[in-house]
Amino acid sequence: MKFPFKVNNKSKDLELLPNETLLHVLRNNDFTEVKCGCNEGECGSCTVLLDGKPVNSCQVLAMSVQEKEITTVKGIGTLYTPHFLQKSFVEAGADQCGFCSPGMVLASYSLLKENPKPTRKEILTALDGNLCRCTGYVKIVDAVEMTAQKLQTNNLEME
Amino acid sequence: MLHQNLEWFFPHKVEEAVKLIEQQGVILHGGGTRILKTSPKSIKGLVDVGRLNLNYIHHADNHFSIGSASTYADIIRYSLKTNKLLILAKALSEAASTPLRNRITIGGSLKDFPIWSSLYAPLLALNAQIEIAEKHEKILSLEEYLDSGMIKTKHLIKRIIVDDIPNIIGGVKRFSLIRFEYPLFTIAVVLQVKQKTVSEARIFITGVKGRHKRCKRAEHFLIDKELNDETIQQAEKHFAPKFVSDYKYSAEYKEHTAKVFFTDLLHELKGTLK
Repeated sequence: MKFPFKVNNKSKDLELLPNETLLHVLRNNDFTEVKCGCNEGECGSCTVLLDGKPVNSCQVLAMSVQEKEITTVKGIGTLYTPHFLQKSFVEAGADQCGFCSPGMVLASYSLLKENPKPTRKEILTALDGNLCRCTGYVKIVDAVEMTAQKLQTNNLEME
Repeated sequence: MLHQNLEWFFPHKVEEAVKLIEQQGVILHGGGTRILKTSPKSIKGLVDVGRLNLNYIHHADNHFSIGSASTYADIIRYSLKTNKLLILAKALSEAASTPLRNRITIGGSLKDFPIWSSLYAPLLALNAQIEIAEKHEKILSLEEYLDSGMIKTKHLIKRIIVDDIPNIIGGVKRFSLIRFEYPLFTIAVVLQVKQKTVSEARIFITGVKGRHKRCKRAEHFLIDKELNDETIQQAEKHFAPKFVSDYKYSAEYKEHTAKVFFTDLLHELKGTLK
């Protein structure tokens, strides 16, 4: 069955079964930037934004979010047109294997949009649902702080 | 795994939702996190509460009304903005993770009451009431809701009501070895204090034998006493929750830890008094 969804600012009919999670529906419909990690809501690899708020897409039944705005990491920026937050991740060395990065970027994006000057503690709280097995988190937190600095210095807004 | 022929319902009225869940195998869907954890095949239909306008937090006539579809994150955000509902918000901010708190609804958590829930102890200590939408709507205290066994029946929780009481201090402590682990127990203490003297006390612990327990002896001891080091030391002797041993911890170990957490909590509350 196909149902209408709004993903990355575009309306799209997605093929799904009524018992499927948003994670599987997105991946089965070519949004493979959403990563499948633990499938239990603990690792955050599958994070997407629902109306701007990060959620574990593996813990969301797709049918329940048809009227909501879904944003994957490609809705923030792409390989050729990266968002300055994504650039900060590269500049800070916050990517290693890259598997957690889509979730980390989206959780950070949502935080900075709501709170452009977060403290280190607020950053850690915002990222408490995203696990990284490579970096030890320091570089990731640095990347978020670097982006916050860019926002202040250049008088930018998270868009 | 949920059944692939699962039927979805999206009612716009509470009455419609109540009627729908009368059918066998049809249950309510809030955030869906608990349904996905248990995924019983016996579920034939899900009634989504997203269009019932139950996502709100209002403050009027000295009480807060929290719509049952409000998420943990909604309550935390409201608390940060208004500096209200602090005890509840603190408890919720320690539960799960940011993305899960954006999905877990307060109504769903109340209806399921998993033993590790961080929600019940603070709500019981705050003497919360809940409004149930059945054929006849009714408001009852959370204690009555639990004691009457109503939790096991099919019903829709419309809202949670928490009184806005002046001069209260309170706190919550949960015991888990790591941040992500389900807590072994949660203690919530709410005290009404007038000139450093406790005039009212409500102390609850969840995760104990019988799931939840009101610690009346400790409450009675604290009333009419000044919250100082000596009182706190004595209060510990009146706080004796009963636990069940499990494969990880003995009942004695849990009881000892709970006593330590209880006195720590009272010391923290003492520190908040000017």
